[in-house]
Amino acid sequence: MTFPPIFFELFVLALGILILLLETFFEKRDRKMFAVVGIVGLAVVFLFLQASGPGASGMASYVVDPPAIFFKKLSVLTTIVVLIMSIDYADTIKRFLPADSPQAGLGEFFALPVLTCAGMMWMSSAIDFILIFVSLELVTISFYVLVAYMRRNASSLEAGVKYLILSALATGFTVYGITWIYGVTRQTNLVQISQVLPSISVDNQPGVLFGALLVLIGLGFKIAAAPFQFWVPDVYQGAPTPITAFLSVGSKSVGFIVLLRVVQAFQSLPAVGDKLITAVILLAVATLLYGNLAALPQTNFKRLLAYSSIGHAGYLLMAVAGISAKDSGQAVVVYLAAYLLMTLLSFLVLVIVSNHGGGDEIVQFNGLSKRSPFLAFALLVAMMSLAGVPLTAGFLGKFMVFKVALETRQFLLIALAIITVGCGFYFYLKVVRAMYWQPAPANVAAIPVSKLSLAAIIIMVLLIFVLGIFPQVALGLLPG
Amino acid sequence: MVSLNDYLIASGLLFAIGFAGVLLRRNVIIIFMALELMLNAANLSLVGFSRYNVHDGLPDYNGQVLVFFIITVAAAEVTVGLAIIVALFRARQTTHVEDINTLKF
Repeated sequence: MTFPPIFFELFVLALGILILLLETFFEKRDRKMFAVVGIVGLAVVFLFLQASGPGASGMASYVVDPPAIFFKKLSVLTTIVVLIMSIDYADTIKRFLPADSPQAGLGEFFALPVLTCAGMMWMSSAIDFILIFVSLELVTISFYVLVAYMRRNASSLEAGVKYLILSALATGFTVYGITWIYGVTRQTNLVQISQVLPSISVDNQPGVLFGALLVLIGLGFKIAAAPFQFWVPDVYQGAPTPITAFLSVGSKSVGFIVLLRVVQAFQSLPAVGDKLITAVILLAVATLLYGNLAALPQTNFKRLLAYSSIGHAGYLLMAVAGISAKDSGQAVVVYLAAYLLMTLLSFLVLVIVSNHGGGDEIVQFNGLSKRSPFLAFALLVAMMSLAGVPLTAGFLGKFMVFKVALETRQFLLIALAIITVGCGFYFYLKVVRAMYWQPAPANVAAIPVSKLSLAAIIIMVLLIFVLGIFPQVALGLLPG
Repeated sequence: MVSLNDYLIASGLLFAIGFAGVLLRRNVIIIFMALELMLNAANLSLVGFSRYNVHDGLPDYNGQVLVFFIITVAAAEVTVGLAIIVALFRARQTTHVEDINTLKF
């Protein structure tokens, strides 16, 4: 069965609107059913995406190449896991909403991630600055609402305001950068820009470089690269936990596909392209150092994951900096696939544990191995993978990134990355220590896990091992 | 005769004023206004570039289409943004950034 590739986005959009409408027609029903509708709908989209292949799209601003399909699948999977988490988290959301009825406001909380997913899917395929800008904003504006969703909770609101201001600032930079690129090249399409660039005069090169750097700053905000990372810890801590997971996986991964496409487009003019690569290397250095060193003293698990997310952006930027190597795109793809699994797994366990402990501090995890050996093992796998222990997905991702860096002879970057991996071991294993070697607080009950979450956790743990133990299988499945 | 450079200088000034406003002002609403100024700086330079990139005697309309998208998106952003700021004011009775400090760096 074939239909135009843009139908995937339109279907997801329709699904989001349908969930919004359901609230009107089924006022009495349990709102958590809406999330199940979303999960089923997205699963169908995923199956069709799996069956579809790359091909012509018939549009100049929209491509359907293997990376685009991969990032669409990534967005859909992330949204499914986020919806599963949201079901577990719904009770916390309800507590912080001004409620006329016990279920008011939950419908939108399940609909908005689906709409965000449509934006991410468009972003995966966008190769025109106009489409990139509009889909980026579709994602960002939905996130404003989601981050500030618990509007009776001071920290959620505060996170919302901080995200709003800093994200809008990033948008301002991106748009101004696009303006300059357009002004010099007279094009907004990345393919056209790449063709026109070699013929522009030397006088105009600074203009285009200025524009490209501004776009890089704007994207740096989205992917949480230092020195544009200062919103990350606060927003991650304040936002509802499922949304934090969504931000750290979804927002980051589509930011990277756009970054890859933009950096690639500017390689046709070495005078600008090389300077852009230098800027990416500097970002990578700052991000690696900041993310891993600032994570060391953290005691809040959500903040720890925020710094971990910054650190992982650093490794990903290393792969982007090696864009001249032929495996660069594949390294980013493999790393993001691994990152998706281990980060979502950590957040899923965090949501379940904090539902039964009341907080996000690492102390909450004390003695988890006694209370719930299953959850403790799942989190152990996630932490090992985040740290990059061999035989896990995280190791494969780091291996690919280091290989790309070696091929492009970035020895300084490699040395730095090895040191930061060492730091990573310390703060990830801190959580493991709390789970296995700290005594559990007295009189705490075992933690019940819903069937949906149980299935998601088991699948993700298995996938982490499959990616780590049989890399050939994984590399065959992922686009190059 | 007004040249392209004049437009670009004006738009650069607008962008700089907007950015300075974001960095220096302490009221969230004023900061938000400064952010809109930055977007409009981009609009001005887009229209300038579009007018001076002439194809066959006609301006290059790609840039003006982007301006329409930016205006629409900015409007959506303001709607959501002001709603969040109003919710913040209701909860905290303040819109000053110094008072927004529950989450520590």
